[in-house]
Amino acid sequence: MTDLVAAEWLKLRTTRLLVGIVPAAVILSLASQAGVVLSADDAALETTETIRRAFAVTGAGAILVLVLGIIISAGEYRHGTASDTFLTTPRRHLVLAAKLTVGAGVGVATGAAISASCVGLAALVYTARGAAFPIGDGEVWLTLAGVVAYTTLFAVVGVAFGSMVRNQTVAVAGALAWFGVIEHTLVNLVPDLGRWLPFAAGEAIVRAPLDDLLSPLAGAAVLTAYGAAIALAGIRVAATRDA
Amino acid sequence: MIEVRSLTKTYGAVRAVTGLSFSAPAGKVTGFLGPNGAGKTTTFRCLLGLAEPTSGAALIGGRRYRELDHPRRQVGAVLESSGFHPARTGRNHLRVIARAAGFDGARIDLLLELVGLRAAADRRVGGYSLGMRQRLGLAAALLGDPPVVVLDEPANGLDPEGHRWVRRLLRIWAGEGRTVVVSSHLLAEIAQVVDHVVVIRDGALVSETDLADLTGAVTVRVDRLEPMLCALRAAGVDHVVTDGAISVPGGDAAEVGAIAARAGVTVTELGRRSPGDILEAMFLALTRGTEQ
Repeated sequence: MTDLVAAEWLKLRTTRLLVGIVPAAVILSLASQAGVVLSADDAALETTETIRRAFAVTGAGAILVLVLGIIISAGEYRHGTASDTFLTTPRRHLVLAAKLTVGAGVGVATGAAISASCVGLAALVYTARGAAFPIGDGEVWLTLAGVVAYTTLFAVVGVAFGSMVRNQTVAVAGALAWFGVIEHTLVNLVPDLGRWLPFAAGEAIVRAPLDDLLSPLAGAAVLTAYGAAIALAGIRVAATRDA
Repeated sequence: MIEVRSLTKTYGAVRAVTGLSFSAPAGKVTGFLGPNGAGKTTTFRCLLGLAEPTSGAALIGGRRYRELDHPRRQVGAVLESSGFHPARTGRNHLRVIARAAGFDGARIDLLLELVGLRAAADRRVGGYSLGMRQRLGLAAALLGDPPVVVLDEPANGLDPEGHRWVRRLLRIWAGEGRTVVVSSHLLAEIAQVVDHVVVIRDGALVSETDLADLTGAVTVRVDRLEPMLCALRAAGVDHVVTDGAISVPGGDAAEVGAIAARAGVTVTELGRRSPGDILEAMFLALTRGTEQ
């Protein structure tokens, strides 16, 4: 299993995927945060409410980490490397386990990079506007921990989803459509159901100041459950469909 | 040793392979022939555990691929459907497979040298020609130094020099006692190198022949057929007439020429057909009309 994880990490390092997507995720989060802290008026800047909002939106990069996760698994079918992978490791669930491990690792690292960059940016903007950045505020740190959990779980969900769908284009388009349109529509149609959906669960983890969200821990548990269920479907697909 | 037993594979309503049985012995090059769409790749995919047979079995050393320990040490395969990540270098492609298979990668340089990709090893595969990809696939197949080698249309994309090189490799491997199976839709590509030939068409076996069982033949055309046929019968020589040409299996050109001289007929054409020619005629007859 160690060899498989090392091989999956080598696969990822030997393409341009990481250098393309990770910085983009960080930039997306920074831009989202900049929008909040720059638009807040001076009086509101140091309120807990603004700080929570400013850090909750740094989860924006998670959507790109999800795409990266999809490419980690579905990319093998796109480039036809899946058959070589399964020739080496005919027990396909082990391949998915290794991919999930690598995806989770990349998710943690990206989440950490986003958190560090956003703290840096926030500190800069606060100083420039003559405000004191509350670096010691527990709200900040809880939200940042949430960002790392968010990117990690989204990476895992992405890997699992890509292994289930297998067609990279369809999987990426489907995921973006879900998070961009479908989930919002469902939330509006059936509000009671809404907070159990994956994007809302992610928002709960980063403690977004929205109504009706689950608690952060419950959000993480729900997202983990989605990841596990989709991964099981992915294992079923890998075991029963020809590659 | 590869054994395919009553293998059937259907995709929805399409029967890609139907009740196919054949074997590929160790120490021989087995040619797996059939026109495009005959089911060669499907058979290979079932053999290699990439597709699940609908019924029957395809076994390597008596076991299914998915049951093999260290499959890369047992079987090396190059499939037409295998791809490469365009952004990955040739060397990294091999490193990934070696890593996943638990090999130390010491053979990578050796193999890059063997397949002639040493200079291009650190270039991205996206810039490789089809022939270079074939060579890289071959290097990947050989990473585990496997006793069984399965190659799907290895000649595709190779130049004539590349063809000769692959044929030489196939002979070397068979000489080392490996089981070598090579598919092709063109007999000419492999006729010179195979020992054993399996021909399929529409997913079913057409013939399985050991080349050692095929003998050459002398063909002769003469100006007057009847006196020549009398003379052959009188000399007790077995012969077959097709389209005005007389074919003498296992015959000797000098002997046939002498019989013609005694019969007082004029020889207009005298030739020898090698086992390969006979195989080709057989292959053409079997597959005629299936190419679009």
